[in-house]
Amino acid sequence: MLSYLTDIYRQAVVVLESSSELPNSYAPDVLVLAASGTYAHTTQVSPGVPEFVDASPRTESMILKTTFSSVPIISQSELREEYQELGTALGEMTEFEDGDEWKIDAPVYAAACYVASELMVNSFPAPRIFNHGPKSIVFNWSKEEDNLYLTVSADRMSALISSPERIERRIHWSANQLTDPSLAFSTLKAAYSEKPVKITGAVADPPEL
Amino acid sequence: MLEKFFMRCSHISDGDSLFRQSVHPVSFKNKGKVFEWAKCFMLYDQPDGSFLASLSWEMYLPTTEEVHDYGCRLAFRRNEKKRIAGKLTDNNRSVYCGAYQLKAKTIRELATPVEELNEVLSAEVVHSVEEGEIAHANLTIVLKPGGVPDIEDTKTAILDRLWSSCSGPMKHICDCDKNIPEHPSSSLAIPPAGAYSDNRSSLSRLWCIIRFQICSWLWRRRNKLA
Repeated sequence: MLSYLTDIYRQAVVVLESSSELPNSYAPDVLVLAASGTYAHTTQVSPGVPEFVDASPRTESMILKTTFSSVPIISQSELREEYQELGTALGEMTEFEDGDEWKIDAPVYAAACYVASELMVNSFPAPRIFNHGPKSIVFNWSKEEDNLYLTVSADRMSALISSPERIERRIHWSANQLTDPSLAFSTLKAAYSEKPVKITGAVADPPEL
Repeated sequence: MLEKFFMRCSHISDGDSLFRQSVHPVSFKNKGKVFEWAKCFMLYDQPDGSFLASLSWEMYLPTTEEVHDYGCRLAFRRNEKKRIAGKLTDNNRSVYCGAYQLKAKTIRELATPVEELNEVLSAEVVHSVEEGEIAHANLTIVLKPGGVPDIEDTKTAILDRLWSSCSGPMKHICDCDKNIPEHPSSSLAIPPAGAYSDNRSSLSRLWCIIRFQICSWLWRRRNKLA
């Protein structure tokens, strides 16, 4: 019974196709991608009180709300094509006349291309773009009413996650921190994918991520 | 006495509505085909480090028709400037598409420190007649000195909050644009707060019109005296 739980912590997860069999070995926390695009969440539940019928840990499953990471899965070729279009759009933004609202500076274009290539390598879907003027470009992904923005300037990058009610999270990176992009993009991916979940006390409904 | 009333004609209260007019092609991308809401609220850098944007105030736009007339005049002036400069083309011709509404209170709340947006020192909207438009208002945002890790990201955060508090769009086609086959107003997006509905009572609307007439008269009189 879920009501036995006092604390649940999300640990590292494995995502499998729905047709895949679960590993026979002990799998503490598994997400199975369903055809509907939602994730079925399977977790080991250790009873908090003596269990007279079955003393062994039980496995329970629940369907979680679609998360930011559950964007439509697209092939690498489609992804490449989308990013090529993005690259073309970025290039065009350098060619506008000075004073045009969509014009970006050459160093911003170079930084944006670098970030875009890392996004593609990390399998982010191609973002929408806009700018605040020549000094920055903003990559934007929307999921329902939530937004993720990546604001890229010539010498820094910032991520912002928001819901209609509030700004949920902001992360800043300097140019030095982006010389090794793997850490920055793994942080971004983690922020993009889901927020950490901690449930305290008895709960009746599945947690919303 | 007159001056006191005039002050009331210049003060924007928290509950007052402000409008942001959307104009094609500035607020659109992909060669003018796709509406981009973030370009609807352009924040301009000021020499003192603050941001400035233009809005219009319901005090002097008491009806939806007035809101749209303002937008049509805005697009007309932009086109005239380009025409005089010899730069007006079919592709860059400004076309008014409609307006979004937000409350003064939501703008001022940007300066309320919250964990994830605490670098705004002040956010204010003030009445400021511009290019003969009595309804024009300036949105001014001042940041805390030395408290901003990334100014461009701060702009993103501010735009996100402004858009989240908007309602609309109120779409419109100006008379001069009625022959455009695919009018860009059809592309305007609905913001998170949903569609705009003028929920003022008939009495309230009537009062707004009377107040508008009085304040406009006061402005004209003051200008004459000046």
